[in-house]
Amino acid sequence: MYKFKKNPDLWQRFFLREQIIRTIRNFFYKEKFHEVETPILLPALIPESYLDVFETFLKDRHGNKKRMFLATSPEASIKKLIAAGLGNCFEITKSFRNGETGSIAHNPEFTILEWYRIKASYKDIMSDCENLILFLYKNLKSQISAFQINKLNHKSLSSVLKMTDFEIVYQKQKINLAPPWEKLSVVDALKKYADIDFDDITEKKKSDLFPAEKLAKVAERKGYNVNKNNSWEEIFNQIFLNEIEPHLGTHGKPTFIYDYPKPMAGLAKIKENEPRLAERFELYIAGLELGDCYNELTDYNEQKARFQNEFILIKKKKKTKVIADNNFLQALKTGLPPCSGIALGVDRLVMLFTDSYSIKDVLLFPLD
Amino acid sequence: MSKITTSDFQKGIFIEFRGEPHQIVEFQFVNPGKGSAFVRTKLKGIKSDKVIEFTYKSGETVEEVPVNVKEMQFLYKTDNNLVFMDNINYEQINMPIKLIGNFSKFIKEGEIYQVFIHNGEALGLRIPKKVKLVVNEAEEGVRGNTVTGAKKTVILETGVSVSVPLFIKKGDIIAVDPETGEYQERISQ
Repeated sequence: MYKFKKNPDLWQRFFLREQIIRTIRNFFYKEKFHEVETPILLPALIPESYLDVFETFLKDRHGNKKRMFLATSPEASIKKLIAAGLGNCFEITKSFRNGETGSIAHNPEFTILEWYRIKASYKDIMSDCENLILFLYKNLKSQISAFQINKLNHKSLSSVLKMTDFEIVYQKQKINLAPPWEKLSVVDALKKYADIDFDDITEKKKSDLFPAEKLAKVAERKGYNVNKNNSWEEIFNQIFLNEIEPHLGTHGKPTFIYDYPKPMAGLAKIKENEPRLAERFELYIAGLELGDCYNELTDYNEQKARFQNEFILIKKKKKTKVIADNNFLQALKTGLPPCSGIALGVDRLVMLFTDSYSIKDVLLFPLD
Repeated sequence: MSKITTSDFQKGIFIEFRGEPHQIVEFQFVNPGKGSAFVRTKLKGIKSDKVIEFTYKSGETVEEVPVNVKEMQFLYKTDNNLVFMDNINYEQINMPIKLIGNFSKFIKEGEIYQVFIHNGEALGLRIPKKVKLVVNEAEEGVRGNTVTGAKKTVILETGVSVSVPLFIKKGDIIAVDPETGEYQERISQ
């Protein structure tokens, strides 16, 4: 906390953080959403092989121990509420992901915003994203630009003053937030930025639609180092991170990148007539990955199969074997209405509006 | 050469990237949504002097380029080279100026530097976080000008111009961050 005594200007970005969170709430109250509070301490989780979880023990009155976990996101709990008939809702809460240190965009404990719309699709959530971020910009414009002018004082005051409406600067990149934002499918992005044809790295009909060897050949030709243990997802994501991600939300507009290959489906629904793609999008602004949205998977059997598949991957990757949230599966069985939902990183949103390089700069008590 | 994995990455070490030794300037972990962990690096090419970004799969193996770090005295600059001497055996070595980038404006004759050597060739040197240099030329600060943050430009002993607070005078020793060229503090008057 000494840094605040030494430099009282540092409080500014935390005052803006306060207002961002308050304004997010106002946006969803205006949209007539319910605000929910779901547990952080949970007896069971959705198995997700790419996440490390925090594990702890609950002790009862007799000293008996029971394994418990910290929530990696409020998704399972919120979907249970929706299956029970709640309707449109949002939550701002803390979530926890173990092992996520040494990164400018991750803190093991972070603030997450999730919202869900019933009978809506991911296209509607794209509009929500545009509207929410514009609402924040309009309501906090003077604070945002005052902050940026303050910060850029000695360097490029003139360039800030020249900023037109809806423009922000993040790490020297000018971004215009006026809709419509760029919408780019993963398949098109692959072609455009990596010169890869989706058909050349997948199979259309065979039992394994995503053969790692097929993608490995393409990756090796590009100079990547690939071995037999690398999964299709790993090789794909390496190409994605090196050749596609640098273009997302960095050409003056935010980018929605949508329809992900099934190995990266998460809890998203598979596209009708295209078993290789899942209806999921991510939102990037100025290279920051801000949000992850699904047309929610409502099919109990498919969800159950994905649970089993994740447990196989958890074992393979030697991650903590979690206790499966069977109540979540039951909720799907009783019927989750068609809906779409998104998780948005609140800390990263604050980074964007305060032009902060690292997530540590927007947390009062960052780890490390 | 020896194989290392991404978990052995450290700032400053040299690895082979597409056939050329590169120094790891920066690295951090990234997790794409619904994906495995990766390590994003900034790599500086020794020969090309270009900084590129590359993202490795977490656990991927790379070749480490063995580099000796030797304390050597900087003697003088020629048109394209910097000449260093090993003060133990008096051997001299040339290092292309472009290998040290902006630091060539701050390097001081007679100082000891840590030089990176691979196969008898100088690959670069460990660039210090701050350099202490004498102010050779400075105008008098304008009296009565108390606006905070007012600056003037002075010329240091290596010939580089630096923006400093008004109270800095000719003959002062100041500390400068060679990476940004920014004034840090006055060491002595």
